[in-house]
Amino acid sequence: MFEVARYESERKLVLGATIAIAASFYGAMFVALSPAYSNFDIEAIFSDFPQQFTEGFGLAAFNTLPGLLAVELYQFGWILVLGLYLAYTAAGLVAGDIETGRMDTLLPAPISRMRLVGEEFLSMLVPILAVNAITPIVLYVGSVLIDEPLDVTNLVALHALAVPYLLCCAAVGFALSVFLANESLAQNASVGVLVVAFLVETVFIGTDLEFLGVLTPMNYFDPTEILVNANYDLAGAGILLAAAVVLVLAGQWRFGRMDIQ
Amino acid sequence: MVAIEVNGLTKDYGNVRAIESLSFAVEDGEVFGFLGPNGAGKSTTIRTLMGFQSPTDGGATVLGHDITDQSAMIEAKRQVGYIPAEMGFDEGVTGKRFLRYQASLKGDTRSEELLELFDPPMDREIGEYSTGNKRKLAVVLAFMHDPDLVIMDEPTSGLDPLMQERFYEFIRGEQAKGTTFFFSSHILSEVQKICDRVGVIRNGHLVELEDVETLLERGGKRVSVHVAESVEAGAFAIEGAHDVSVTGDEQSAQPTAADGSGDDPSTESEDAPSGGRDGTSVSFTYTGDYNALLSHLIGYDVLDLDIEDAPLEDVFMRFYGEVDPDREPSTVGRQANV
Repeated sequence: MFEVARYESERKLVLGATIAIAASFYGAMFVALSPAYSNFDIEAIFSDFPQQFTEGFGLAAFNTLPGLLAVELYQFGWILVLGLYLAYTAAGLVAGDIETGRMDTLLPAPISRMRLVGEEFLSMLVPILAVNAITPIVLYVGSVLIDEPLDVTNLVALHALAVPYLLCCAAVGFALSVFLANESLAQNASVGVLVVAFLVETVFIGTDLEFLGVLTPMNYFDPTEILVNANYDLAGAGILLAAAVVLVLAGQWRFGRMDIQ
Repeated sequence: MVAIEVNGLTKDYGNVRAIESLSFAVEDGEVFGFLGPNGAGKSTTIRTLMGFQSPTDGGATVLGHDITDQSAMIEAKRQVGYIPAEMGFDEGVTGKRFLRYQASLKGDTRSEELLELFDPPMDREIGEYSTGNKRKLAVVLAFMHDPDLVIMDEPTSGLDPLMQERFYEFIRGEQAKGTTFFFSSHILSEVQKICDRVGVIRNGHLVELEDVETLLERGGKRVSVHVAESVEAGAFAIEGAHDVSVTGDEQSAQPTAADGSGDDPSTESEDAPSGGRDGTSVSFTYTGDYNALLSHLIGYDVLDLDIEDAPLEDVFMRFYGEVDPDREPSTVGRQANV
Protein backbone atom coordinates (compact mmCIF):
# COMPACT_ATOMS: atom_id res chain seq x y z
CA MET A 1 0.00 0.00 0.00
CA PHE A 2 1.01 3.62 -0.64
CA GLU A 3 3.97 2.75 -2.88
CA VAL A 4 2.71 5.24 -5.45
CA ALA A 5 2.09 7.95 -2.85
CA ARG A 6 5.56 7.42 -1.36
CA TYR A 7 7.29 7.66 -4.72
CA GLU A 8 5.25 10.62 -5.91
CA SER A 9 5.75 12.42 -2.60
CA GLU A 10 9.48 11.95 -2.87
CA ARG A 11 9.40 13.54 -6.31
CA LYS A 12 7.57 16.56 -4.85
CA LEU A 13 9.97 17.19 -1.98
CA VAL A 14 11.94 19.77 -3.94
CA LEU A 15 8.73 21.49 -4.99
CA GLY A 16 7.53 21.51 -1.38
CA ALA A 17 10.81 22.91 -0.07
CA THR A 18 10.89 25.60 -2.76
CA ILE A 19 7.37 26.79 -2.04
CA ALA A 20 7.97 26.76 1.70
CA ILE A 21 11.17 28.77 1.42
CA ALA A 22 9.63 31.28 -1.00
CA ALA A 23 6.57 31.74 1.21
CA SER A 24 8.75 32.12 4.30
CA PHE A 25 10.86 34.85 2.72
CA TYR A 26 7.78 36.61 1.44
CA GLY A 27 6.14 36.44 4.88
CA ALA A 28 9.33 37.48 6.70
CA MET A 29 9.48 40.53 4.49
CA PHE A 30 6.09 41.71 5.77
CA VAL A 31 7.04 40.97 9.35
CA ALA A 32 10.12 43.15 8.88
CA LEU A 33 8.10 45.92 7.24
CA SER A 34 5.20 45.83 9.68
CA PRO A 35 6.55 48.41 12.22
CA ALA A 36 6.38 50.98 9.43
CA TYR A 37 2.71 50.20 8.80
CA SER A 38 1.46 50.67 12.38
CA ASN A 39 1.41 54.45 12.61
CA PHE A 40 -1.30 55.56 10.25
CA ASP A 41 -5.00 56.21 10.51
CA ILE A 42 -6.51 53.21 8.81
CA GLU A 43 -10.09 54.50 9.05
CA ALA A 44 -9.21 57.66 7.21
CA ILE A 45 -7.35 55.90 4.44
CA PHE A 46 -9.80 53.14 3.67
CA SER A 47 -13.07 55.02 4.30
CA ASP A 48 -13.35 56.00 0.63
CA PHE A 49 -12.50 52.50 -0.65
CA PRO A 50 -15.32 50.33 -1.98
CA GLN A 51 -16.68 47.76 0.41
CA GLN A 52 -15.72 44.96 -2.00
CA PHE A 53 -12.13 46.04 -1.66
CA THR A 54 -11.87 46.59 2.08
CA GLU A 55 -13.92 43.55 3.01
CA GLY A 56 -12.82 41.34 0.14
CA PHE A 57 -9.19 41.85 0.93
CA GLY A 58 -9.72 42.08 4.69
CA LEU A 59 -8.14 45.51 5.02
CA ALA A 60 -9.82 46.33 8.37
CA ALA A 61 -6.79 45.53 10.50
CA PHE A 62 -4.08 46.51 8.06
CA ASN A 63 -2.16 48.49 10.68
CA THR A 64 -1.41 45.48 12.89
CA LEU A 65 1.00 42.65 12.13
CA PRO A 66 -1.73 39.97 12.03
CA GLY A 67 -3.89 42.23 9.87
CA LEU A 68 -1.04 42.99 7.51
CA LEU A 69 -0.08 39.33 7.18
CA ALA A 70 -3.70 38.31 6.69
CA VAL A 71 -3.97 40.62 3.70
CA GLU A 72 -0.59 40.60 2.08
CA LEU A 73 0.58 37.08 2.81
CA TYR A 74 -2.59 35.03 3.21
CA GLN A 75 -5.30 36.72 1.14
CA PHE A 76 -2.89 37.18 -1.68
CA GLY A 77 -0.21 34.53 -1.19
CA TRP A 78 -2.26 31.64 0.14
CA ILE A 79 -5.73 32.10 -1.27
CA LEU A 80 -4.71 33.26 -4.72
CA VAL A 81 -1.13 32.35 -5.57
CA LEU A 82 -0.79 29.05 -3.70
CA GLY A 83 -4.34 28.01 -4.50
CA LEU A 84 -3.84 28.63 -8.20
CA TYR A 85 -0.39 27.11 -8.25
CA LEU A 86 -1.47 23.89 -6.57
CA ALA A 87 -4.50 23.60 -8.84
CA TYR A 88 -2.22 24.16 -11.83
CA THR A 89 0.22 21.50 -10.63
CA ALA A 90 -2.53 19.00 -9.88
CA ALA A 91 -4.01 19.63 -13.32
CA GLY A 92 -0.84 18.20 -14.81
CA LEU A 93 -1.00 15.00 -12.77
CA VAL A 94 -3.18 12.81 -14.97
CA ALA A 95 -3.50 14.66 -18.27
CA GLY A 96 0.25 15.26 -18.35
CA ASP A 97 1.07 11.63 -17.60
CA ILE A 98 -1.19 10.46 -20.40
CA GLU A 99 0.34 12.90 -22.87
CA THR A 100 3.95 12.05 -22.13
CA GLY A 101 3.27 8.32 -22.23
CA ARG A 102 4.27 8.10 -18.58
CA MET A 103 0.91 6.49 -17.82
CA ASP A 104 1.89 3.62 -20.13
CA THR A 105 4.78 2.83 -17.85
CA LEU A 106 2.54 2.74 -14.77
CA LEU A 107 -0.66 1.05 -15.97
CA PRO A 108 1.04 -2.32 -16.60
CA ALA A 109 1.65 -2.55 -12.85
CA PRO A 110 -0.78 -4.76 -10.95
CA ILE A 111 -2.56 -1.99 -9.07
CA SER A 112 -5.97 -0.48 -9.68
CA ARG A 113 -6.29 2.71 -11.63
CA MET A 114 -8.30 4.32 -8.83
CA ARG A 115 -5.48 3.66 -6.42
CA LEU A 116 -2.85 4.88 -8.84
CA VAL A 117 -4.34 8.33 -9.37
CA GLY A 118 -5.72 8.55 -5.84
CA GLU A 119 -2.22 8.15 -4.44
CA GLU A 120 -0.82 10.53 -7.01
CA PHE A 121 -3.26 13.12 -5.69
CA LEU A 122 -2.23 12.36 -2.12
CA SER A 123 1.31 13.36 -2.99
CA MET A 124 0.01 16.93 -3.35
CA LEU A 125 0.00 16.91 0.45
CA VAL A 126 3.79 17.25 0.40
CA PRO A 127 3.93 20.85 -0.87
CA ILE A 128 0.74 21.72 1.05
CA LEU A 129 2.01 20.43 4.37
CA ALA A 130 5.56 21.71 3.84
CA VAL A 131 4.49 25.29 3.21
CA ASN A 132 2.04 25.27 6.11
CA ALA A 133 4.50 23.76 8.54
CA ILE A 134 7.58 25.84 7.80
CA THR A 135 6.14 29.30 7.13
CA PRO A 136 4.41 29.79 10.53
CA ILE A 137 7.62 28.95 12.37
CA VAL A 138 9.56 31.54 10.39
CA LEU A 139 6.80 34.12 10.90
CA TYR A 140 6.61 33.49 14.62
CA VAL A 141 10.35 33.77 15.11
CA GLY A 142 10.30 36.98 13.07
CA SER A 143 7.46 38.44 15.10
CA VAL A 144 9.33 37.72 18.33
CA LEU A 145 12.40 39.44 16.94
CA ILE A 146 10.43 42.65 16.32
CA ASP A 147 8.83 42.38 19.75
CA GLU A 148 5.36 41.85 18.42
CA PRO A 149 4.82 38.12 18.92
CA LEU A 150 1.97 36.61 16.90
CA ASP A 151 -0.75 34.68 18.67
CA VAL A 152 0.42 31.09 18.39
CA THR A 153 -3.06 29.57 18.49
CA ASN A 154 -4.32 31.79 15.72
CA LEU A 155 -1.25 31.14 13.63
CA VAL A 156 -1.49 27.37 14.03
CA ALA A 157 -5.24 27.47 13.39
CA LEU A 158 -4.73 29.47 10.23
CA HIS A 159 -2.24 27.03 8.79
CA ALA A 160 -4.30 24.04 9.86
CA LEU A 161 -7.39 25.49 8.19
CA ALA A 162 -5.37 26.39 5.10
CA VAL A 163 -4.78 22.68 4.42
CA PRO A 164 -8.42 21.85 3.51
CA TYR A 165 -8.60 25.00 1.39
CA LEU A 166 -5.46 24.17 -0.58
CA LEU A 167 -6.48 20.51 -0.90
CA CYS A 168 -9.76 21.67 -2.37
CA CYS A 169 -7.94 23.87 -4.90
CA ALA A 170 -5.66 20.97 -5.86
CA ALA A 171 -8.71 18.71 -6.16
CA VAL A 172 -10.25 21.14 -8.67
CA GLY A 173 -7.10 20.82 -10.78
CA PHE A 174 -7.01 17.05 -10.37
CA ALA A 175 -10.62 16.59 -11.44
CA LEU A 176 -10.13 18.80 -14.49
CA SER A 177 -6.96 16.90 -15.29
CA VAL A 178 -8.95 13.69 -15.57
CA PHE A 179 -12.02 15.06 -17.29
CA LEU A 180 -10.19 17.20 -19.84
CA ALA A 181 -7.35 14.78 -20.66
CA ASN A 182 -5.24 17.51 -22.24
CA GLU A 183 -2.61 18.96 -19.98
CA SER A 184 -2.55 22.60 -21.00
CA LEU A 185 -6.32 22.75 -21.28
CA ALA A 186 -6.70 21.27 -17.80
CA GLN A 187 -4.11 23.67 -16.38
CA ASN A 188 -5.67 26.73 -17.95
CA ALA A 189 -9.14 25.63 -16.97
CA SER A 190 -8.22 25.08 -13.34
CA VAL A 191 -6.59 28.51 -13.08
CA GLY A 192 -9.59 30.02 -14.84
CA VAL A 193 -12.09 28.33 -12.55
CA LEU A 194 -10.32 29.51 -9.41
CA VAL A 195 -9.81 33.07 -10.64
CA VAL A 196 -13.50 33.31 -11.50
CA ALA A 197 -14.36 31.86 -8.09
CA PHE A 198 -12.14 34.46 -6.42
CA LEU A 199 -13.80 37.25 -8.37
CA VAL A 200 -17.29 35.96 -7.59
CA GLU A 201 -16.43 35.83 -3.90
CA THR A 202 -14.88 39.32 -3.92
CA VAL A 203 -16.79 41.43 -6.43
CA PHE A 204 -20.30 40.47 -5.34
CA ILE A 205 -19.80 41.49 -1.71
CA GLY A 206 -22.63 43.81 -0.66
CA THR A 207 -24.68 43.08 -3.81
CA ASP A 208 -27.70 40.85 -4.41
CA LEU A 209 -25.40 38.23 -5.84
CA GLU A 210 -23.30 37.92 -2.69
CA PHE A 211 -24.94 34.54 -2.03
CA LEU A 212 -23.06 33.10 -5.03
CA GLY A 213 -19.98 33.24 -2.85
CA VAL A 214 -21.07 30.04 -1.10
CA LEU A 215 -20.12 28.19 -4.27
CA THR A 216 -16.50 29.26 -4.03
CA PRO A 217 -13.81 27.69 -1.85
CA MET A 218 -12.65 31.18 -0.80
CA ASN A 219 -15.91 31.59 1.11
CA TYR A 220 -14.85 28.95 3.64
CA PHE A 221 -11.39 30.17 4.51
CA ASP A 222 -10.96 33.72 5.81
CA PRO A 223 -7.42 34.50 7.03
CA THR A 224 -8.41 37.88 8.49
CA GLU A 225 -11.17 36.34 10.62
CA ILE A 226 -8.76 33.72 11.95
CA LEU A 227 -5.71 35.87 12.51
CA VAL A 228 -7.36 39.11 13.67
CA ASN A 229 -10.64 38.00 15.28
CA ALA A 230 -9.76 34.42 16.28
CA ASN A 231 -12.88 33.09 14.55
CA TYR A 232 -12.25 29.60 13.25
CA ASP A 233 -14.68 28.38 10.60
CA LEU A 234 -14.48 24.65 11.31
CA ALA A 235 -17.67 23.92 9.39
CA GLY A 236 -16.15 25.74 6.42
CA ALA A 237 -13.06 23.56 6.67
CA GLY A 238 -15.32 20.52 6.72
CA ILE A 239 -17.10 21.72 3.58
CA LEU A 240 -13.79 22.28 1.79
CA LEU A 241 -12.56 18.85 2.78
CA ALA A 242 -15.82 17.24 1.65
CA ALA A 243 -15.65 19.09 -1.67
CA ALA A 244 -12.06 17.92 -2.15
CA VAL A 245 -13.06 14.33 -1.44
CA VAL A 246 -15.98 14.51 -3.87
CA LEU A 247 -13.80 15.98 -6.62
CA VAL A 248 -11.07 13.39 -6.12
CA LEU A 249 -13.57 10.53 -6.06
CA ALA A 250 -15.18 11.83 -9.24
CA GLY A 251 -11.76 12.01 -10.86
CA GLN A 252 -10.87 8.50 -9.72
CA TRP A 253 -14.19 7.13 -10.92
CA ARG A 254 -13.75 8.68 -14.32
CA PHE A 255 -10.11 7.61 -14.62
CA GLY A 256 -11.10 4.06 -13.78
CA ARG A 257 -13.33 3.92 -16.84
CA MET A 258 -11.66 6.05 -19.46
CA ASP A 259 -9.60 4.96 -22.44
CA ILE A 260 -5.92 5.83 -22.10
CA GLN A 261 -4.73 6.67 -25.57
CA MET B 1 -4.18 -23.31 -22.22
CA VAL B 2 -4.07 -20.27 -24.42
CA ALA B 3 -2.16 -17.23 -23.23
CA ILE B 4 -4.22 -14.75 -25.20
CA GLU B 5 -7.59 -15.37 -26.78
CA VAL B 6 -9.15 -12.66 -28.92
CA ASN B 7 -12.76 -12.91 -30.03
CA GLY B 8 -14.22 -10.47 -32.49
CA LEU B 9 -12.28 -7.62 -30.92
CA THR B 10 -13.37 -4.26 -32.30
CA LYS B 11 -12.29 -0.78 -31.28
CA ASP B 12 -13.61 2.53 -32.60
CA TYR B 13 -12.16 5.95 -31.88
CA GLY B 14 -15.19 8.12 -32.45
CA ASN B 15 -16.00 7.58 -36.10
CA VAL B 16 -12.75 5.86 -36.91
CA ARG B 17 -12.68 2.09 -36.69
CA ALA B 18 -9.18 1.18 -35.55
CA ILE B 19 -9.57 -2.59 -35.43
CA GLU B 20 -12.44 -4.73 -36.55
CA SER B 21 -13.51 -8.22 -35.50
CA LEU B 22 -10.06 -9.53 -34.71
CA SER B 23 -10.06 -13.17 -33.66
CA PHE B 24 -6.97 -15.20 -32.89
CA ALA B 25 -5.29 -17.07 -30.10
CA VAL B 26 -1.75 -17.09 -28.82
CA GLU B 27 -0.80 -20.48 -27.45
CA ASP B 28 1.14 -20.97 -24.25
CA GLY B 29 4.86 -20.89 -24.87
CA GLU B 30 4.85 -19.56 -28.40
CA VAL B 31 6.36 -16.44 -29.85
CA PHE B 32 3.62 -14.71 -31.79
CA GLY B 33 4.46 -11.86 -34.09
CA PHE B 34 1.84 -9.26 -34.84
CA LEU B 35 2.85 -7.78 -38.12
CA GLY B 36 1.63 -4.82 -40.06
CA PRO B 37 2.50 -1.40 -41.36
CA ASN B 38 2.23 1.74 -39.25
CA GLY B 39 -1.37 2.65 -38.51
CA ALA B 40 -2.67 -0.86 -39.16
CA GLY B 41 -4.04 -1.23 -35.64
CA LYS B 42 -1.21 -3.08 -33.90
CA SER B 43 -0.90 -0.67 -30.99
CA THR B 44 -4.68 -0.38 -30.63
CA THR B 45 -4.89 -4.15 -30.27
CA ILE B 46 -2.08 -4.25 -27.74
CA ARG B 47 -3.47 -1.37 -25.68
CA THR B 48 -6.87 -3.01 -25.63
CA LEU B 49 -5.36 -6.32 -24.56
CA MET B 50 -3.50 -4.55 -21.76
CA GLY B 51 -6.78 -3.07 -20.55
CA PHE B 52 -5.69 0.53 -21.23
CA GLN B 53 -8.85 1.00 -23.25
CA SER B 54 -12.05 -0.96 -23.47
CA PRO B 55 -13.18 -2.66 -26.66
CA THR B 56 -16.15 -1.26 -28.57
CA ASP B 57 -17.26 -4.78 -29.32
CA GLY B 58 -16.04 -8.32 -28.84
CA GLY B 59 -13.63 -9.31 -26.13
CA ALA B 60 -10.46 -11.06 -25.17
CA THR B 61 -8.77 -12.87 -22.34
CA VAL B 62 -5.18 -12.53 -21.20
CA LEU B 63 -3.91 -15.53 -19.21
CA GLY B 64 -7.54 -16.47 -18.76
CA HIS B 65 -8.59 -13.08 -17.39
CA ASP B 66 -11.25 -11.00 -19.10
CA ILE B 67 -9.66 -7.76 -20.34
CA THR B 68 -12.74 -5.70 -19.48
CA ASP B 69 -12.73 -6.85 -15.87
CA GLN B 70 -10.33 -4.50 -14.08
CA SER B 71 -9.81 -6.53 -10.95
CA ALA B 72 -9.19 -9.65 -13.04
CA MET B 73 -6.68 -7.68 -15.11
CA ILE B 74 -4.81 -6.66 -11.97
CA GLU B 75 -4.33 -10.37 -11.29
CA ALA B 76 -3.26 -10.96 -14.88
CA LYS B 77 -0.73 -8.12 -14.76
CA ARG B 78 1.19 -9.86 -11.99
CA GLN B 79 2.21 -12.35 -14.67
CA VAL B 80 2.44 -10.02 -17.63
CA GLY B 81 5.43 -7.99 -18.76
CA TYR B 82 4.91 -5.05 -21.08
CA ILE B 83 7.21 -3.00 -23.25
CA PRO B 84 5.42 0.15 -24.42
CA ALA B 85 6.04 1.76 -27.79
CA GLU B 86 6.69 5.11 -26.16
CA MET B 87 8.82 4.97 -23.07
CA GLY B 88 7.62 7.93 -21.02
CA PHE B 89 9.68 7.15 -17.96
CA ASP B 90 10.10 9.84 -15.32
CA GLU B 91 12.86 12.06 -16.63
CA GLY B 92 13.93 13.52 -13.32
CA VAL B 93 14.81 10.30 -11.48
CA THR B 94 17.68 7.89 -11.95
CA GLY B 95 17.15 4.53 -13.60
CA LYS B 96 17.90 2.95 -10.26
CA ARG B 97 15.17 4.89 -8.46
CA PHE B 98 12.60 4.14 -11.13
CA LEU B 99 13.48 0.46 -11.03
CA ARG B 100 13.01 0.50 -7.26
CA TYR B 101 9.59 2.11 -7.74
CA GLN B 102 8.51 -0.50 -10.28
CA ALA B 103 9.83 -3.23 -8.00
CA SER B 104 7.63 -1.96 -5.18
CA LEU B 105 4.61 -2.14 -7.50
CA LYS B 106 5.08 -5.52 -9.13
CA GLY B 107 7.97 -7.30 -7.47
CA ASP B 108 11.50 -7.98 -8.59
CA THR B 109 13.06 -11.41 -8.82
CA ARG B 110 15.65 -11.00 -11.54
CA SER B 111 16.59 -7.41 -12.27
CA GLU B 112 20.24 -7.99 -11.34
CA GLU B 113 20.64 -10.69 -13.95
CA LEU B 114 18.82 -8.56 -16.53
CA LEU B 115 20.96 -5.52 -15.80
CA GLU B 116 24.06 -7.55 -16.57
CA LEU B 117 22.62 -8.50 -19.94
CA PHE B 118 21.15 -5.15 -20.94
CA ASP B 119 23.10 -2.52 -19.06
CA PRO B 120 21.32 0.85 -19.10
CA PRO B 121 23.20 3.51 -17.09
CA MET B 122 21.23 3.08 -13.88
CA ASP B 123 22.93 5.87 -11.93
CA ARG B 124 22.07 8.52 -14.50
CA GLU B 125 18.80 10.40 -14.69
CA ILE B 126 16.45 8.91 -17.25
CA GLY B 127 16.12 12.31 -18.91
CA GLU B 128 19.71 11.90 -20.12
CA TYR B 129 19.08 8.47 -21.64
CA SER B 130 19.29 7.80 -25.36
CA THR B 131 16.39 5.94 -26.96
CA GLY B 132 18.48 2.78 -26.93
CA ASN B 133 19.15 3.10 -23.21
CA LYS B 134 15.48 3.73 -22.50
CA ARG B 135 14.69 0.63 -24.50
CA LYS B 136 17.14 -1.39 -22.44
CA LEU B 137 15.57 -0.10 -19.24
CA ALA B 138 12.13 -0.98 -20.62
CA VAL B 139 13.31 -4.55 -21.26
CA VAL B 140 14.63 -4.87 -17.72
CA LEU B 141 11.37 -3.48 -16.30
CA ALA B 142 9.26 -5.82 -18.42
CA PHE B 143 11.04 -8.96 -17.29
CA MET B 144 12.07 -8.13 -13.73
CA HIS B 145 9.08 -9.89 -12.13
CA ASP B 146 9.62 -13.00 -14.26
CA PRO B 147 6.31 -12.85 -16.17
CA ASP B 148 4.64 -15.77 -17.95
CA LEU B 149 3.52 -13.62 -20.84
CA VAL B 150 5.31 -10.65 -22.33
CA ILE B 151 3.50 -8.19 -24.57
CA MET B 152 5.73 -5.86 -26.53
CA ASP B 153 4.91 -2.96 -28.82
CA GLU B 154 7.75 -2.72 -31.35
CA PRO B 155 10.33 -3.68 -28.76
CA THR B 156 13.53 -3.39 -30.77
CA SER B 157 13.12 0.05 -32.30
CA GLY B 158 16.00 2.16 -31.07
CA LEU B 159 18.24 -0.79 -30.13
CA ASP B 160 21.51 -1.10 -32.00
CA PRO B 161 21.94 -4.27 -34.11
CA LEU B 162 24.20 -5.91 -31.54
CA MET B 163 21.68 -5.31 -28.77
CA GLN B 164 18.87 -6.50 -31.06
CA GLU B 165 20.66 -9.81 -31.56
CA ARG B 166 21.18 -10.12 -27.82
CA PHE B 167 17.50 -9.42 -27.33
CA TYR B 168 16.44 -12.08 -29.85
CA GLU B 169 18.72 -14.57 -28.19
CA PHE B 170 17.26 -13.60 -24.82
CA ILE B 171 13.72 -14.14 -26.14
CA ARG B 172 14.62 -17.57 -27.44
CA GLY B 173 16.06 -18.44 -24.04
CA GLU B 174 12.96 -17.19 -22.26
CA GLN B 175 10.74 -19.11 -24.63
CA ALA B 176 12.67 -22.27 -23.84
CA LYS B 177 11.78 -21.64 -20.19
CA GLY B 178 8.11 -21.45 -21.11
CA THR B 179 7.46 -17.73 -21.50
CA THR B 180 4.90 -16.70 -24.09
CA PHE B 181 5.51 -13.67 -26.30
CA PHE B 182 3.11 -11.47 -28.17
CA PHE B 183 4.72 -8.62 -29.98
CA SER B 184 4.06 -6.19 -32.73
CA SER B 185 6.60 -5.39 -35.37
CA HIS B 186 7.01 -4.01 -38.80
CA ILE B 187 10.49 -5.43 -39.08
CA LEU B 188 10.13 -8.59 -41.07
CA SER B 189 13.56 -10.08 -40.54
CA GLU B 190 12.92 -9.88 -36.82
CA VAL B 191 9.71 -11.82 -37.14
CA GLN B 192 11.38 -14.36 -39.36
CA LYS B 193 14.13 -14.86 -36.79
CA ILE B 194 12.14 -15.41 -33.63
CA CYS B 195 8.46 -16.02 -34.29
CA ASP B 196 6.63 -19.32 -34.37
CA ARG B 197 3.50 -17.80 -35.80
CA VAL B 198 2.54 -14.55 -37.37
CA GLY B 199 -0.68 -12.60 -37.52
CA VAL B 200 -0.74 -10.01 -40.26
CA ILE B 201 -2.93 -7.00 -39.68
CA ARG B 202 -3.76 -4.26 -42.09
CA ASN B 203 -6.35 -1.51 -41.89
CA GLY B 204 -7.65 -3.02 -38.67
CA HIS B 205 -8.34 -6.43 -40.15
CA LEU B 206 -6.48 -9.62 -39.54
CA VAL B 207 -5.57 -10.68 -43.05
CA GLU B 208 -3.39 -13.66 -42.32
CA LEU B 209 -2.59 -16.03 -39.52
CA GLU B 210 0.15 -18.46 -40.30
CA ASP B 211 3.21 -20.33 -39.16
CA VAL B 212 6.21 -18.40 -40.27
CA GLU B 213 7.12 -21.48 -42.33
CA THR B 214 3.74 -21.63 -44.03
CA LEU B 215 3.98 -17.97 -44.80
CA LEU B 216 7.39 -18.56 -46.37
CA GLU B 217 6.05 -21.58 -48.22
CA ARG B 218 3.22 -19.56 -49.58
CA GLY B 219 5.79 -16.96 -50.43
CA GLY B 220 7.59 -19.57 -52.50
CA LYS B 221 11.27 -19.89 -53.32
CA ARG B 222 13.86 -17.52 -54.56
CA VAL B 223 15.27 -19.14 -57.70
CA SER B 224 18.55 -18.00 -59.21
CA VAL B 225 19.73 -19.83 -62.28
CA HIS B 226 22.78 -19.25 -64.43
CA VAL B 227 22.56 -20.70 -67.92
CA ALA B 228 25.08 -20.84 -70.75
CA GLU B 229 22.88 -19.58 -73.56
CA SER B 230 21.30 -16.19 -73.92
CA VAL B 231 17.73 -15.96 -72.76
CA GLU B 232 14.85 -13.98 -74.19
CA ALA B 233 13.24 -11.63 -71.73
CA GLY B 234 9.95 -13.49 -71.81
CA ALA B 235 11.39 -16.99 -71.69
CA PHE B 236 10.82 -17.46 -67.97
CA ALA B 237 7.27 -16.15 -67.94
CA ILE B 238 6.13 -19.55 -66.75
CA GLU B 239 3.25 -20.06 -64.37
CA GLY B 240 4.21 -19.31 -60.76
CA ALA B 241 7.25 -17.15 -61.55
CA HIS B 242 7.15 -13.59 -60.26
CA ASP B 243 9.50 -10.64 -60.58
CA VAL B 244 11.64 -12.29 -63.25
CA SER B 245 14.91 -10.55 -63.88
CA VAL B 246 17.22 -11.55 -66.72
CA THR B 247 20.81 -10.32 -66.83
CA GLY B 248 23.16 -11.06 -69.71
CA ASP B 249 26.43 -10.58 -67.90
CA GLU B 250 26.93 -12.75 -64.85
CA GLN B 251 29.09 -10.14 -63.11
CA SER B 252 26.14 -7.80 -62.88
CA ALA B 253 23.65 -10.50 -62.09
CA GLN B 254 21.85 -8.96 -59.18
CA PRO B 255 18.26 -9.68 -58.39
CA THR B 256 16.18 -6.59 -58.84
CA ALA B 257 13.74 -7.43 -56.12
CA ALA B 258 14.23 -5.47 -52.90
CA ASP B 259 14.72 -8.42 -50.66
CA GLY B 260 17.00 -6.60 -48.23
CA SER B 261 18.37 -9.86 -46.85
CA GLY B 262 22.00 -10.51 -46.18
CA ASP B 263 22.40 -13.80 -48.00
CA ASP B 264 21.97 -12.72 -51.54
CA PRO B 265 21.55 -15.71 -53.84
CA SER B 266 23.45 -14.03 -56.67
CA THR B 267 26.69 -14.08 -54.69
CA GLU B 268 26.67 -17.83 -54.81
CA SER B 269 25.97 -17.94 -58.50
CA GLU B 270 29.21 -16.05 -59.00
CA ASP B 271 31.10 -19.00 -57.58
CA ALA B 272 29.80 -21.05 -60.48
CA PRO B 273 32.46 -22.94 -62.45
CA SER B 274 31.63 -20.91 -65.48
CA GLY B 275 35.29 -20.05 -66.12
CA GLY B 276 34.46 -16.67 -67.54
CA ARG B 277 32.15 -18.13 -70.17
CA ASP B 278 29.33 -15.87 -71.28
CA GLY B 279 25.97 -16.74 -69.90
CA THR B 280 22.73 -15.41 -68.56
CA SER B 281 21.53 -15.06 -65.01
CA VAL B 282 17.85 -15.34 -64.35
CA SER B 283 16.28 -14.87 -60.96
CA PHE B 284 12.69 -14.88 -59.84
CA THR B 285 10.38 -15.85 -57.02
CA TYR B 286 8.63 -19.12 -57.69
CA THR B 287 5.36 -20.26 -56.19
CA GLY B 288 4.34 -22.81 -58.82
CA ASP B 289 4.84 -26.57 -59.20
CA TYR B 290 8.46 -27.75 -58.91
CA ASN B 291 8.13 -30.30 -61.70
CA ALA B 292 7.02 -27.64 -64.09
CA LEU B 293 10.05 -25.54 -63.12
CA LEU B 294 12.43 -28.46 -63.58
CA SER B 295 10.97 -29.42 -66.97
CA HIS B 296 11.40 -25.83 -68.05
CA LEU B 297 15.03 -25.73 -66.90
CA ILE B 298 15.88 -28.98 -68.71
CA GLY B 299 15.77 -27.06 -71.97
CA TYR B 300 18.84 -25.02 -70.88
CA ASP B 301 22.44 -25.68 -70.19
CA VAL B 302 22.30 -24.93 -66.48
CA LEU B 303 25.64 -23.77 -65.03
CA ASP B 304 24.43 -22.95 -61.57
CA LEU B 305 21.17 -23.22 -59.74
CA ASP B 306 20.21 -21.85 -56.39
CA ILE B 307 16.80 -22.31 -54.79
CA GLU B 308 16.07 -20.98 -51.34
CA ASP B 309 13.26 -19.59 -49.20
CA ALA B 310 12.11 -16.23 -50.34
CA PRO B 311 12.89 -13.59 -47.75
CA LEU B 312 9.82 -12.64 -45.77
CA GLU B 313 10.21 -9.13 -47.10
CA ASP B 314 9.42 -10.37 -50.60
CA VAL B 315 6.53 -12.43 -49.36
CA PHE B 316 5.18 -9.57 -47.43
CA MET B 317 5.68 -7.11 -50.20
CA ARG B 318 3.72 -9.18 -52.65
CA PHE B 319 1.17 -9.78 -49.96
CA TYR B 320 0.62 -6.09 -49.37
CA GLY B 321 1.43 -5.05 -52.90
CA GLU B 322 -1.63 -6.84 -54.18
CA VAL B 323 -3.92 -4.98 -51.85
CA ASP B 324 -2.59 -1.46 -51.70
CA PRO B 325 0.33 -0.99 -54.01
CA ASP B 326 0.80 2.73 -53.53
CA ARG B 327 1.48 2.74 -49.84
CA GLU B 328 2.55 -0.48 -48.27
CA PRO B 329 5.52 -1.53 -50.38
CA SER B 330 7.41 1.66 -49.63
CA THR B 331 6.74 1.32 -45.92
CA VAL B 332 7.79 -2.29 -45.86
CA GLY B 333 10.82 -1.69 -48.02
CA ARG B 334 12.06 1.09 -45.82
CA GLN B 335 11.43 -0.66 -42.53
CA ALA B 336 13.08 -3.81 -43.74
CA ASN B 337 16.45 -2.09 -43.62
CA VAL B 338 16.14 -1.00 -40.01
